[in-house]
Amino acid sequence: MLLSLLLIIPFTGALGLLLWPTAQSSERIRIGAIVILAVQCVASFAVLLPFDPTDAALQLVEKVRWVHSIGLDYALGVDGLSLPLVLMNAVLCLVAAVASRSIENRPRIYFALLLVISGAVNGAFLSQNLLLFFLFYELELIPLWLLIAVWGGANRSYAATKFLIVTAVSGMLILGAFLGLAFVTGTMDFSLRPILSGELGLPAQFLLMGALLIGFGIKIPLFPFHTWLPDAHTEASTPVSVLLAGVLLKLGTYGLLRFCLGLFPEAWQLAAPWLAGWAAISVLYGSLAAIAQTDMKRMVAYSSVGHMGYVLLAAAAATPLGLMGALFQMISHGLISGVLFLLVGVVYARTGTRDLNVLRGLLNPERGLPLTGSLMIIGVMASAGIPGMAGFISEFLIFRGSFQPFPVATLLSMVGSGLTAVYFLLLVNRAFFGRLAIAPGEVVNPRILDRVALREQVPAIALSLGVLALGLAPELLSNLSEAATTGLSQLSGGLS
Amino acid sequence: MTTTVKPLTAPVLPDQEELIQRLLSDTPLLVDTQDHLVQVVNVLETYGIVLDAYSKNLVDQGEKQLLNPFPIFRFFHEGLTPKRLWDHLLGDRINFEYAEYCQKAMFWHGTGGLDAYLDSEPFQDVCQRIIQRKAQRDPLLALTNKLYPGFAPESIRSLTTIYCLGLFWRVMSDLFVDLARRYAIKEVTCVNDVVHHIRDGLVAAAANPITYEVDVAGEKIWVLPPDAGLTFLVDVAVPYVEAVFFRGMPFLGTVSYNAQARQISPDISDFKYGALYADPIPSMGAGIPPSLCMKDMFRHLPEELSRWYDDHGRGQVDVHVQICVSFQKSMFCVTNGAIAGTMPHSLDTSDADEQAANRAYADAWSGRLMGCQRGALLAAD
Amino acid sequence: MIPLYGFIAMLVSLPWAAGLFRRVAHRPAAYLNILLTLLAFAHGSLILQEVFQSGPVDLSYPWLTVADLELDISFSLSLTNLVALELITGLSLFSQVYSLGYMDKEWALARFFALLGFFEGAMSGVVLSDSLFQSYFLLEMLTLSTYLLVGFWYAQPLVITAARDAFLTKRVGDVLLLMGVVALCSFAGGMGFNDLYAWAATDSLSPLAATLLGLGLIAGPTGKCAQFPMHLWLDEAMEGPNPASILRNSVVVTCGAIVLLKVMPILQHSPVALTVLLVIGSISAIGGSLVALAQVDIKRTMSYSTTAHLGLVFIAIALQIPVLALLLLFSHAVSKALLSMSIGGVIAATNCQDITELGGLGSRMPATTTSFLIGGAGLVGFLPLGGFLAFAQSIELLSVRSIPFMAVFLITNALTALGLVRVFRHVFLGDALIKSRRAAEVNWQMALPMVALCVVVLLTPVLLVRLESLDGLLAFPLWAAGLVVGSGLIGLLAGALIPLSKAWSRSLNPLLRWFQDLLAYDFYTERFYRLTIVNVVAGFSQLAAWFDRNVVDGVLHGVARFSVQSAEGLKLSVSGQTQSYVLTVLVAIVLFLTAVSWFLT
Repeated sequence: MLLSLLLIIPFTGALGLLLWPTAQSSERIRIGAIVILAVQCVASFAVLLPFDPTDAALQLVEKVRWVHSIGLDYALGVDGLSLPLVLMNAVLCLVAAVASRSIENRPRIYFALLLVISGAVNGAFLSQNLLLFFLFYELELIPLWLLIAVWGGANRSYAATKFLIVTAVSGMLILGAFLGLAFVTGTMDFSLRPILSGELGLPAQFLLMGALLIGFGIKIPLFPFHTWLPDAHTEASTPVSVLLAGVLLKLGTYGLLRFCLGLFPEAWQLAAPWLAGWAAISVLYGSLAAIAQTDMKRMVAYSSVGHMGYVLLAAAAATPLGLMGALFQMISHGLISGVLFLLVGVVYARTGTRDLNVLRGLLNPERGLPLTGSLMIIGVMASAGIPGMAGFISEFLIFRGSFQPFPVATLLSMVGSGLTAVYFLLLVNRAFFGRLAIAPGEVVNPRILDRVALREQVPAIALSLGVLALGLAPELLSNLSEAATTGLSQLSGGLS
Repeated sequence: MTTTVKPLTAPVLPDQEELIQRLLSDTPLLVDTQDHLVQVVNVLETYGIVLDAYSKNLVDQGEKQLLNPFPIFRFFHEGLTPKRLWDHLLGDRINFEYAEYCQKAMFWHGTGGLDAYLDSEPFQDVCQRIIQRKAQRDPLLALTNKLYPGFAPESIRSLTTIYCLGLFWRVMSDLFVDLARRYAIKEVTCVNDVVHHIRDGLVAAAANPITYEVDVAGEKIWVLPPDAGLTFLVDVAVPYVEAVFFRGMPFLGTVSYNAQARQISPDISDFKYGALYADPIPSMGAGIPPSLCMKDMFRHLPEELSRWYDDHGRGQVDVHVQICVSFQKSMFCVTNGAIAGTMPHSLDTSDADEQAANRAYADAWSGRLMGCQRGALLAAD
Repeated sequence: MIPLYGFIAMLVSLPWAAGLFRRVAHRPAAYLNILLTLLAFAHGSLILQEVFQSGPVDLSYPWLTVADLELDISFSLSLTNLVALELITGLSLFSQVYSLGYMDKEWALARFFALLGFFEGAMSGVVLSDSLFQSYFLLEMLTLSTYLLVGFWYAQPLVITAARDAFLTKRVGDVLLLMGVVALCSFAGGMGFNDLYAWAATDSLSPLAATLLGLGLIAGPTGKCAQFPMHLWLDEAMEGPNPASILRNSVVVTCGAIVLLKVMPILQHSPVALTVLLVIGSISAIGGSLVALAQVDIKRTMSYSTTAHLGLVFIAIALQIPVLALLLLFSHAVSKALLSMSIGGVIAATNCQDITELGGLGSRMPATTTSFLIGGAGLVGFLPLGGFLAFAQSIELLSVRSIPFMAVFLITNALTALGLVRVFRHVFLGDALIKSRRAAEVNWQMALPMVALCVVVLLTPVLLVRLESLDGLLAFPLWAAGLVVGSGLIGLLAGALIPLSKAWSRSLNPLLRWFQDLLAYDFYTERFYRLTIVNVVAGFSQLAAWFDRNVVDGVLHGVARFSVQSAEGLKLSVSGQTQSYVLTVLVAIVLFLTAVSWFLT
């Protein structure tokens, strides 16, 4: 029942917000949404109580026959792989709601959509039925598209359309693969476990897995399916970017681990060297493209392309350590990119630009944004894999886990990690160091830099503390998920 | 990506001819507005209070810290109590380091009569007398003096500058506090009144003698005897203005000292790092020594100015930068008063030669002012 | 436990650095830092006493256990490590007191001290660390804190590039080191140094793998110790505040060398790596000394001589003589710290770093001059200070192993002496020029640590003899001593006799001037890097961005245009888009299923 609660809370909450008669001001609606998400957060963390981290199997399973004739059942369950992601979803959605200040344009719908996304993502992470997963996977897409298309920046319709088309293709491929699987195995049972043991010929495995790979590869995103992401990020508002990078991309990597690796271990094993190469290319390409960006938000977006490539690398290796690293990377990337997008949002709100050719000297203690700058340094250093923060642990685990099977791809990915330092250092040095720019004719005038209240920074500070906590005490997460990642690794015969 | 481009129209700065005209027509350099008056008078009042503390401390140092190798308690001119020590350690105090910084600038740039006297024969003799007498009881000094004969005289020179700067600031502090008194009783009602007040104060004090006598092991010794003939305006005030208002010293926080980068001129008379050239924006950042002074002034900010700042800029958040902006404006007024006070002839003279001399004088000064932050003279902000 | 003092010091400074106290100055943070450093030093001495009497202790706490990976927090309290720890905390203490004087006009003092605390904590951890993973972990933290310390005056243009280059250069070394660490971790399993040594004794790696591994492992220390070809950052890092430069020139490089010492047994299997180490060391030693000779910036003359001395340490490590490396490191660290302090005094008194614009300070600044003299004497082989002992020992040990490297040592010694005498003549002797005409001795917070460190440098030989408790330390043959003193004297005489001209610091002879410029601009290494690595990375990144805009997006747009035309619905309204989306999905699914079924049957 606990898991269903994670769906019921946001969905009924969304409905409640829409029907809340007395709520007029956007502030009241926002507080309502925050309360609902806080309750969801508590409920998510409550799952930790009955959860047994030593058990690799699905736990707290709930099953209700639904449209059984087409194989669609309501089946939920949680394991060490999905639980951290559910928790992160709860935290980041709460952060996004807290960061959604001054939404004047139809706040009721905005926050309702936010809640729908939260519920749909929970559903996708928890569902144990392929069709149910697909339903939630698609359900999350529409609200996000609306959030970009209605509350986005100037060029939002292009970005939203691109997002919609590309991710729709992703959805089609995934659904196609799922249906194809049922077709081939001849059963109409879409629950996760039975399919797992289904015996398939290799060509069929490759075809279906290929479809899934590209489907999830678009979502992750991997080169060359990634261009929708920078556009979507640039046009999305800050909280939406936080959700997009922190939670929605993780649906792709989660799908990669759960379905590509979990459903087709044999084909996966054969394709692994190619996948590792693909991962290295994606990492390097994302990092190099990020260096050339002058828009801070695009730079962070491209860094996601690079950093999600590590997950593919680890998944390809499929060693217990690598998979733990992959999970770690999903969580730490979620938190770190959350911090970065929040801070870029603050800079944009205060200066009206994100252009690195224009911004200068924002560390200035009284006229600049010193706290934002300090947090930004923490964020970029975490992203660049400096020890003491979560990014390092995940990178180390991934590299260590992947080195033996794929030494060359791993070393190339490490170069990508070095490049991360290059572009993020450029970002900090250009925008925050130096003399605050006020020359006439330049865009930024410090006189329009309003003060940033401490409470506006609470979300970023909280996420930064999370990044530090995971970096200094990684066992917090690894204890939770070790059984699951090891189990997943054994499934594919573990390449180590 | 969208950027809200807010091009600023570059403000029109007064040109040199305009500056000369203002100097010759008894018009203040600073645009005469009520906002300027509020800023200048109040900032000078708080500066006067701070200078009072600086001055007392420097004079006290001059009297007590002669050749003391460890002047640990040199900032306790009001006496040492546990409470004061505690406040001192917490940093809840006036930052006398800034006073020493100004002294260092003045000492290092070394212009004017005082500096020339520090190299003179009589001064050398006095130094030797002091050292001989002090070394009798201080073996460390005796040894150091033997090995490094330049050390003790240089220390005495430095301390002499400290003492003289204390004397100078005594006068300025009283002048500024008096300005605030006259402002309160509405005797000063515009910026021009401020300039006149400073001009008259400087002229009145111009001939004050600068002397310095120390007590060395019970014997009183004149370091700067009355017959050296050093006076307030020419020998101390003008070198101070030169060293602190104009030349200054490069801030580590904005200029590279790297010799190969050649950012700093080898000729110190070319220096343009003084208060009139300074950029207020980086105030309170790292490596900007005047931040200390802004902090000291903030501690004594008059109510009126504090409220004025609330409605300008980012309010209390960037109050130090705002103080710095106002401070620079007030320093232009002080410079203005000093120029007016040292004009060769009366401004209303009808003699053509005298007018030409005045014009040449104004011309020379305006030339220097051209490179300064003339934006501070404008009414904006 | 001791590294924690530094980190705690950083944490307690944060409230001030964050500007929570608007009325009071940031100095309490500084006092707390100094107090904690003092505690760290005292605590270290106690442990040192204990270990001295009852032998080394290893401490280990589990940190992260995942699958087959076990990472521990482990410290090795051996005599060597503790001496290095005392060196670090001691010099930190001196330089923190010194900062009170040097930075007395600095408002952002709390941030500076917070960074110093972080710096100190990371360094203490590195020297005590008993696992390669932990060493790497802390070295990276050191990289971060170097970046932040160099970038302390963030508004100054050259600081920005300096901080960037310091971070990136070290980062290149660190990434290569990480590659080594990951590889080693995969091969050997454990990460503790003892496990690694045990593995190294029995391993059977292919020569190629061993070479690559070795190169990876030496890359990190090469970056940290500012060795050729990763030496540029130390020069640029001189833009940072001087108290941090003191630590950087003395103990940071020592940390890097100590990590190299700890991985030394693993390198034994890779002759190529050892050769590379020797080459790096020799180039850095000779090249660094030569470049130092051509610098006109007083801080940079010192930073290049640091590169040179660490080159000697690298040679010692490559030749597997750890005792020698430690001797050199210790004597270099204290002397160089003293020299850097003295230089800071000159800068504080004259606002100038250009030695051609200075002169005649000698008689007026006793503490500063004395520090320069004693520091210089301790650095080169001056009888009977630490540098002499280290050099004499080196000559003796090298004479039986490798005569050419013995020559490198002697040449470096002579060149260092020459450089120091040159700087001394420029700055302290001669007539007072305009910028040094009025220069009083520095304030007592700076003078006191200088004098104290002078005493330490003078006592170094005693300390060394006592700590090493080696009878061998003093038992070098007379000819070795003669060679060391002789090379020093040659440098001294050359330095004293070459004509110095302020106005014509560049030679008129074109060939000589070319050579001089070559050295002054550090063999144009910076320009070389800009033309090569930087351009390559920038070029590839532009290529990637172009590819993104034109090829990837181009294909996408083409497909989109095609589908829009065929479906005729995508550009309508919001609802129109949704409908066409659903339609497209359905059509595509049907097509796909047909394809699948056809393909599989």
